[in-house]
Amino acid sequence: MSRRTARIASVRERLTAALIWCVAVVVLGLLGWILVDVIVRGADGWSLSFLVAEPEDAGRAGGIGPIIISTFLVLAVTFAVSVPLSLATAIALTERADRAALDARLVRRCLDVLAAVPSIVLGLFGNAFFCVALGMGYSILAGGLTLACMVLPIMIRTTEQALAAVPDEYRLAAAGLGLNHTSTLFRVLLPAAAPAMAAGIVLGIGRALAETAVLIFTAGYVVRMPESLADSGRVMSVHIYDLAMNVPGGSAQAYTTATVLVVMLLLINTVAVALLRLAGFRHVAGGREA
Amino acid sequence: MFGPQAVVAEHFRTVSKTLIWILLCILAPAVGCTPRTKVMHDHQESTTQPASVLSGRLTVTGSSTVAPLVAEIAKRFEARHAGVRIDVQTGGSGKGIADARNGVADIGMASRRLKAGERDLVAHQIAADGVGLIVHRDNRVAELTAAEVVDVFTDRSNNWQEVRGLDLPITVVHKAEGRATLEVFLNHFSLANPQVRADVIVGDNQHGIKTVAGTPGAIGYVSIGAAEAAIAGGVPIRLLPIDGVAATSAQVAAGAYPLTRPLNLVTAGGLSPLARAFVTFCQSEDVHDTVVSQHFVPLAN
Repeated sequence: MSRRTARIASVRERLTAALIWCVAVVVLGLLGWILVDVIVRGADGWSLSFLVAEPEDAGRAGGIGPIIISTFLVLAVTFAVSVPLSLATAIALTERADRAALDARLVRRCLDVLAAVPSIVLGLFGNAFFCVALGMGYSILAGGLTLACMVLPIMIRTTEQALAAVPDEYRLAAAGLGLNHTSTLFRVLLPAAAPAMAAGIVLGIGRALAETAVLIFTAGYVVRMPESLADSGRVMSVHIYDLAMNVPGGSAQAYTTATVLVVMLLLINTVAVALLRLAGFRHVAGGREA
Repeated sequence: MFGPQAVVAEHFRTVSKTLIWILLCILAPAVGCTPRTKVMHDHQESTTQPASVLSGRLTVTGSSTVAPLVAEIAKRFEARHAGVRIDVQTGGSGKGIADARNGVADIGMASRRLKAGERDLVAHQIAADGVGLIVHRDNRVAELTAAEVVDVFTDRSNNWQEVRGLDLPITVVHKAEGRATLEVFLNHFSLANPQVRADVIVGDNQHGIKTVAGTPGAIGYVSIGAAEAAIAGGVPIRLLPIDGVAATSAQVAAGAYPLTRPLNLVTAGGLSPLARAFVTFCQSEDVHDTVVSQHFVPLAN
């Protein structure tokens, strides 16, 4: 009887393991399918001139040079604003006597609500606030600022978790050595939390690069090479959407642009993982020595 | 004790470098902003300058159908007038009309006629577009009468057998509320939107074409130019004639095809010399090749 129970238990174990592996393979397969589909359909138009040329004939011909520049400018504005803000907010939330104080809990709740706002709502808000009320018009600046509102919650939360994960012994040791708050923060806590904070930024870049709804109403639709941040500029995701949905015969170029976007995302991810491994290794070594 | 400090110091240097980069990024806009201010200044001056020396900035917003066409025309206009910048934005005909009315945009774009409540605005037609019924290429039905179209879209006919086709359920592909093609379609067949029993609701023309191409029993309606381009590209769909008139660009141009819509620029009140020059340019024969290459039908002058 007990042997039978054991056999049933072992069968159940294997079944569970097999099921979990199946699910994992399905998820991996989905990713592989999307990648292969996009790259196979987009590889034809892939060339160096595609990366630098201006779009012609509503995007059916030519390249995406100005669009890549606009995309990078929007990202630069987004992270120039959101990185200092998220760092400061995360420090304010964690480096205090009582992490569960009422105001800190309130800020966290607000951030969670902000994270749940659908991007189209943020896009309309950005249009009404930055473009119309603040008079920026359709511009890379307005797009970047709206996007910053969108990535702020995810970046603050990851930075906060990174800082909270630094062992309290570090803080106690720093205090014991007579370091003041600022020195402890810049010389001990931020370096120790840097890898996890970098992961948050990478997540933010991923979300920002994929965003369409926010940017079509703020950064806009203009394909001219941007002359300043006050110019409207079309980003890659908006270009893909327009080619796939509004331009008859534009889907080949949409796939090529999507390939560039996917390759760019993979590159950013790979570089970030490499950097993290480097930084993480140092951190572990430093911690062990301490 | 000194080991971790050295590591920490190195990290600190990295952090400072990052901070410097962030500062640079923040300073960049301050430098970059100067050209825009100058252009804005020019725009104010342009009212006093003679119309032959055009300069300044125009914002054009509205219909996502018209936007690619106007963006192409704008590029040609900018090439001819060095000091001019024309920013084309999308958002739908409704947004174009609202933006032109409240002054957010200099010119709106609408892919439909103005309604009774919009008589305060002026429409300048720049091209025409036909709305065509599309079915899958393997569908054998040659033509539907107006009554049959109404039956199909209100679910009184639910199988292609009932309209001389194969034994196949009918999938009705309908446009989302606010789309200009939807209004043209409903008007022509005297339907009200709630009467339509749709199986699939789609957004734009390409969305509709892709849905019908992927569903053998589907019927939908899209811009004829978009459908012709898709058919030329090998997409398995077919355009149905209406009232015996073939759904082609040529028939739309000849004025024989009944389901058409104008592509309009919409303006409110007094136009600046620059805006007037651009509207005139959009209606001129100089842009007929662009109109055709965007799969629309140019106006016969």
